[in-house]
Amino acid sequence: MKETEKLIGDLQERAKELRCLYEVEKALNDVKRPLPEVMRQVVEAIGPGWQFPEFCVASIELEGEVFESRGFRMTACSQETPILVQGEAVGSMRVCYTKECPEEDTGPFLEEEVQLLESLADRLGHYLLFKKLQSMGRKWRELETMSNEPGEENWQVIIDLLRETDDSLFLRISRKMLNFLCSIGISESQAMLQQIDKEYDPEELGTGETNVPEAFSATDNTLLLDGGPFRLAAKYITGEEIIFYVQKWIQEDKAAAFLNVLDNPRSTLSEIQEALRRFQQAAQDGAGLPDSTMKSVGVSLTQRVLTEQLDFVKTAKDHVSIAFFRDLMDRIIMPIECHGKLGGKAAGMLLAHCILRGREVARSQVASVSADEAMGAANGVDWNLLSEIRIPRTWHIASDAVLDFIAYNDLEDTLHQKYKTIDEVRRDYPNIIRLFKNSSFPPSLVHGMSAALDDFDGVPIIIRSSSLLEDRVGTAFSGKYKSLFLANQGSKKECLKALLDAVSEIYASMFGPDPIEYRAERGVLEFDEQMGILIQEVVGTQNGKYFFPAFAGVAFSKNEFRWSPRITRDDGLVRLVPGLGTRAVDRTGDDYPVLIVPGQPELRVNVAVDEIVRYSPSKMDVINLETNTFETVEVDRMLKELEGRYKGLPLVFSVLKDGRLVKPVSILLDPEKERIFPTFDEVRSDRKFLPQLKGLLKVLENTLQTPVDVEFAHDGDHLYLLQCRPQSQAELAPPAPIPQDVPAEDIIFTADKFVSNGRVEDITHLVYVNPERYGELATREKMKAVGRAIGKLNKILPRKKFILMGPGRWGSRGDIKLGVSVTYADINNTAMLIEIARKKGSYVPDVSFGTHFFQDLVEAGIGYLPLYPDDEGIRFGDRFLLGAENILGELLPKFAELSDVVRVIDTAKVTDGRIVKILLNADLDKAMACLAEPGLKLEKAPLPGKQDNLQPIQYWLWRKQMVERIARDVDKGTFGVVSMYLIGSVKNAIAGPASDIDLMVHFRGGQEQKSQLLHWLDGWSRCLSEVNYLKTGYRTDGLLDVHIITDKDIKNRSSYAVKIGAVTDAAYELPMGED
Amino acid sequence: MSQETAFNPFATAQAEFDRIADLIGLDAGARQMLRSTQREYHFNIPVRMDDGTVQVFPGYRIQHNDARGPCKGGVRFHPQETVNTVRALSMWMTWKCAVADLPLGGGKGGVICDPHNLSPREQELLCRGWVRQASSNVGPVRDIPAPDMMTNAQHMLWMLDEYETMTGGRYPGAFTGKPVGMGGSLGRTQATGYGVVYTLREALKELEIKPQDTTASVQGFGNVAQHAIELYHRLGGKVVCVSCWDQKDEVTYSYVKPEGVDLEELRSITDHFGGIDLPRAKDLGYKVLPGEVWLSQDVDVLIPAAIENQITSESVKLISDRVKVLAEGANGPTSPEADPYLKEKGIFVIPDFLANAGGVTCSYFEQVQSNMNYYWELGDVLSRLDVKMTAAFYAVFDLSKKRDVSMRDAAYMLAIDRVAMACRDRGWI
Repeated sequence: MKETEKLIGDLQERAKELRCLYEVEKALNDVKRPLPEVMRQVVEAIGPGWQFPEFCVASIELEGEVFESRGFRMTACSQETPILVQGEAVGSMRVCYTKECPEEDTGPFLEEEVQLLESLADRLGHYLLFKKLQSMGRKWRELETMSNEPGEENWQVIIDLLRETDDSLFLRISRKMLNFLCSIGISESQAMLQQIDKEYDPEELGTGETNVPEAFSATDNTLLLDGGPFRLAAKYITGEEIIFYVQKWIQEDKAAAFLNVLDNPRSTLSEIQEALRRFQQAAQDGAGLPDSTMKSVGVSLTQRVLTEQLDFVKTAKDHVSIAFFRDLMDRIIMPIECHGKLGGKAAGMLLAHCILRGREVARSQVASVSADEAMGAANGVDWNLLSEIRIPRTWHIASDAVLDFIAYNDLEDTLHQKYKTIDEVRRDYPNIIRLFKNSSFPPSLVHGMSAALDDFDGVPIIIRSSSLLEDRVGTAFSGKYKSLFLANQGSKKECLKALLDAVSEIYASMFGPDPIEYRAERGVLEFDEQMGILIQEVVGTQNGKYFFPAFAGVAFSKNEFRWSPRITRDDGLVRLVPGLGTRAVDRTGDDYPVLIVPGQPELRVNVAVDEIVRYSPSKMDVINLETNTFETVEVDRMLKELEGRYKGLPLVFSVLKDGRLVKPVSILLDPEKERIFPTFDEVRSDRKFLPQLKGLLKVLENTLQTPVDVEFAHDGDHLYLLQCRPQSQAELAPPAPIPQDVPAEDIIFTADKFVSNGRVEDITHLVYVNPERYGELATREKMKAVGRAIGKLNKILPRKKFILMGPGRWGSRGDIKLGVSVTYADINNTAMLIEIARKKGSYVPDVSFGTHFFQDLVEAGIGYLPLYPDDEGIRFGDRFLLGAENILGELLPKFAELSDVVRVIDTAKVTDGRIVKILLNADLDKAMACLAEPGLKLEKAPLPGKQDNLQPIQYWLWRKQMVERIARDVDKGTFGVVSMYLIGSVKNAIAGPASDIDLMVHFRGGQEQKSQLLHWLDGWSRCLSEVNYLKTGYRTDGLLDVHIITDKDIKNRSSYAVKIGAVTDAAYELPMGED
Repeated sequence: MSQETAFNPFATAQAEFDRIADLIGLDAGARQMLRSTQREYHFNIPVRMDDGTVQVFPGYRIQHNDARGPCKGGVRFHPQETVNTVRALSMWMTWKCAVADLPLGGGKGGVICDPHNLSPREQELLCRGWVRQASSNVGPVRDIPAPDMMTNAQHMLWMLDEYETMTGGRYPGAFTGKPVGMGGSLGRTQATGYGVVYTLREALKELEIKPQDTTASVQGFGNVAQHAIELYHRLGGKVVCVSCWDQKDEVTYSYVKPEGVDLEELRSITDHFGGIDLPRAKDLGYKVLPGEVWLSQDVDVLIPAAIENQITSESVKLISDRVKVLAEGANGPTSPEADPYLKEKGIFVIPDFLANAGGVTCSYFEQVQSNMNYYWELGDVLSRLDVKMTAAFYAVFDLSKKRDVSMRDAAYMLAIDRVAMACRDRGWI
């Protein structure tokens, strides 16, 4: 009985409160009524909301003015709360009981009543703020109409208004005006400055030769507050100008406030987010701010949110926008006190996003055609197509959330894991996973992830690691940390649990043996690694109970696997699979992705129908929405189960019918009965997909100035960009410098056709199948035996330390005499497969490029090189290969009779411990194999700096720049130099890697000067030669070819002087420095 | 075309021809006629490439002999084709057609190109270019090309279309290897495998062994092997061992089941290339043994239906004493050195180019059907195939009895004799 009464009592109280709130709201809503009237109404509405309304009175005190309800008097039974406007108390609100009342939570007042009073005061504060803004707005509007008329005195109104609304801002603007006046040389302003800064002496300051700190100057601000500088300004500049500057400085000031937050290392990510929001509202995305400020904001935001890597920031600053960060920040899940970033993977993807999207913005604003755009047009990039590329919805967890997680669960011990031995790490790892998975997340992170899940709304998601180390150039951590798929089905609770579980597992992967070993190897163990997380929607559609994209894959802007001479390095390469892209990114070993070259899509790796079928993907990765799991299923079975309901089927699949592959477009085709294979034949000719991908790679490569690889998915309608990063080292071996000073007898072979980049080092054994002897074998049986011998050698020679050299096409399935008959298993341990095309009379046989197991070579990372020993300029070490001791008989006594044909050379044995290195340089299209001391670096690595390595080297450009530098630096007086000219290949921009620089010097001086000059130039020459060697591997005696001409030569137009002012191929006069 | 190298396939083929010619005492004129090719066409095919440039590809058609009827043989695309390889293959086609008693001669052709460097459009132009060069010398009554190395049904359709456009009519009989519905014949997948067993059936009959009392071991599980097993089971025989290549482990395994393999069961766990799923086979009760075990099974019949050179002078010793018949489904599964051992063991050999003549016979049927533009039901094709194969078997068998030579030599002798006879009948020699 009592319970019910209490409940009814409580409910009555709440009803009273609501009524009170409603009455107050009603009074405040009429914004046009004068303030005192409103206040009187409010003060009367308060009392009835309290527990004992009959004794309850209220008062409001506002900026000295007091409003009281009827019968108000102060009593001891009272509560009070301040009224705040923009954090500043402008008054207070009070409630009193005029009679003694029973004790409740807080004196005679209920807890709810305390809160009610606070919220009323809060509401009143908002109302007052609104009123204030309203009146200011009115004034500004008046100003606007005024400033349309050329009124000289408008500026005065603005200044006054400014002083009224924000005096500290006014002070800063006032100071700026004074500085400005000083800078344009108004002498009165100097005086004023002196008056303000007592110690100021314009004669002394800033000359700064002394090592004594400049004296501190006390400042008197009254003059500034008084508006002195403005009055002074009005004398010299027009009112309009004053308004212009004031407006500009106000804008800048807003940005400065924002930059202060941004640049303060102590400010948290959420503070930045808040400051960004305010800045945006105030400055409308910074419209009207100078470019330099906007760039500065972009750089700061990039550094705080994305990464501090300088190269990245440098590129990003031209592409990120404030609006981009505002949208991004809303989707970052951050711990309290967050100072983290989003990590490498996220940064790469977001930058790519900006590059793609930024162009649209620029275009819609009809900005001037940038250099990039001009380049895009020249490369045939179709921006309309690119703008259709989509980015999947993504949420981020800031990188330091992992530290919060660790601290929250007292797991700090794990942070020292990296210093344990790798065995310990390996042993502890399963335990750490278990520990992490059983830990709980801080509430801030749980809330964030819950919001993200609401946003994803039941779409399957992928949780990707995005650590700070990941995707940095040189440490491509690809695949070292985990990525997990979640079906995201079931109740919200289940989904959240699965998400938290996945995130903790990825956190745990930081302490796995693989990444730690990898970090130790790369010397980045000490780096304070943190783990950002990307939560990304999975691209795809639901097909039956499965969810997957029509196809997905990874694309490289540089192609290192060229199976045809018609394919160039710039044609790129795509690895495609049906379903999720995991099988294209990782090498699965038992399955093959389809390889397509975007620049030559119609050239196939596999030509014969049975090869196409054999090397087509047989399995695919999907998400099973029923079991909530990630699954690998057989393509065949999947298609039968779906009865052909596979979105994008015609793009991906072909039907094998009567020995040929046809488009699956006829209505007569029956998916139940037909044999269907993913061949991607229609993708090759699709008018959209490959042009999009090609354009994407080109634009990203050009903008980022480095070869890139991208992960993508296609849902049958649209292409989605999932990830972008510099093409990894594994995929993109840097070009090896080809030394020019190797003694001829140490060279095993050289090549100058179809060379890829890379180096194959520490070769201890050469297996050489003598093409001539092989061709002379009389029977197939003997030729087969050669293949078997190779297979045996493949098993016993040290893995990846031997190379196979043989005639024509290895593993030829056709005519056995075209090449040694081997299967992939017979060669899979070799480091490199070399096919020798020796001239036969006037005819040079083709080598394979695409033997049927070419794709196996690609997957296993086995190098491939064709040799043309009979071509001009090619060295082929017949003497070594045929003369060195053959150990075949020793290794395989059974095959001793083949010793004439198959030669196995233990290089260390025959050369006193030396090994063989193969250096490959695709930029120069040259390769060389030579003997070298083991462990000794034959040559230095190329200079760091990616332009040099990755863009085609512009041999002439850097040469020209260097000569210009020489001309600037030359001491004309000392050396007797009048002028300098550039002639020849560098001037004509046709210089090759070994070209020298033809420098013509107009000399007027004595013998002594001349020899000094030549000595000085010789130093440069040697130095440039070294630089060139590091860039290209070409060794020259010096790079400068100096031609001295005299006045006489010029007068007679003799010697090289004829080039000066010539009609054709005139010498280029180099700008000289001053003496 | 390349200079001759030491290993010359045509010279090898000629030497083999000379040996048989000696056996049958062929006269000098016939020898001269048959040891060289009758006609050779060499030409260049210009192709406008995708990038606008023009490349010229050497192409050719070689007709070894057409005394018995229009030439028949493949067109191959291969970068290192040599004229001697093609000559040897065209001669081989002559014998193959003759031993099956098909009214056809032998030919072969090709283009020196690497399809890895060619887009499908360029390949189409190459096919059409080939036909434009060769059209006056090929056709349904002169020479009928078929798919070969790196060419397939699609290439044949391009060629046929060009040929028909040039000649202004529909001549599906000008090319074989076409898809069903586009002038192709039913029964092509079964033809070779069934053909092997048709000859095997007759061999057992002659040896007075009932098929239902026999067991067999088969090497390979591709198209030929599967259909051979299918028909052999229908005759009542029992296959107890199948060996095949395992793509994953890159070795061959033998799958053994003494009570007899279940073909449908095995097919259900086999991929498109004849690879059997090892774990599932184990689950189904198959014993999985090393690849070479198929040869040493204690069976009555061995059917090598995979790759060449499997029965060598070494491995032949593994063969069980129980084995009575060796039916060569594959091309060249037995090396010449192994033949004496087989003879010694008293094993009846059905030589490859008789045993696997079902394929070429079906091509002939395709041509016949195309010429009359009337296509048979599957049953018709197979029963006619049975008639042809049986007749071919007895022609060879009778000759081997009569002249007391091996089946292999008899087949060869019969083929050469038939061609020589046709040349004589025509008054050529």
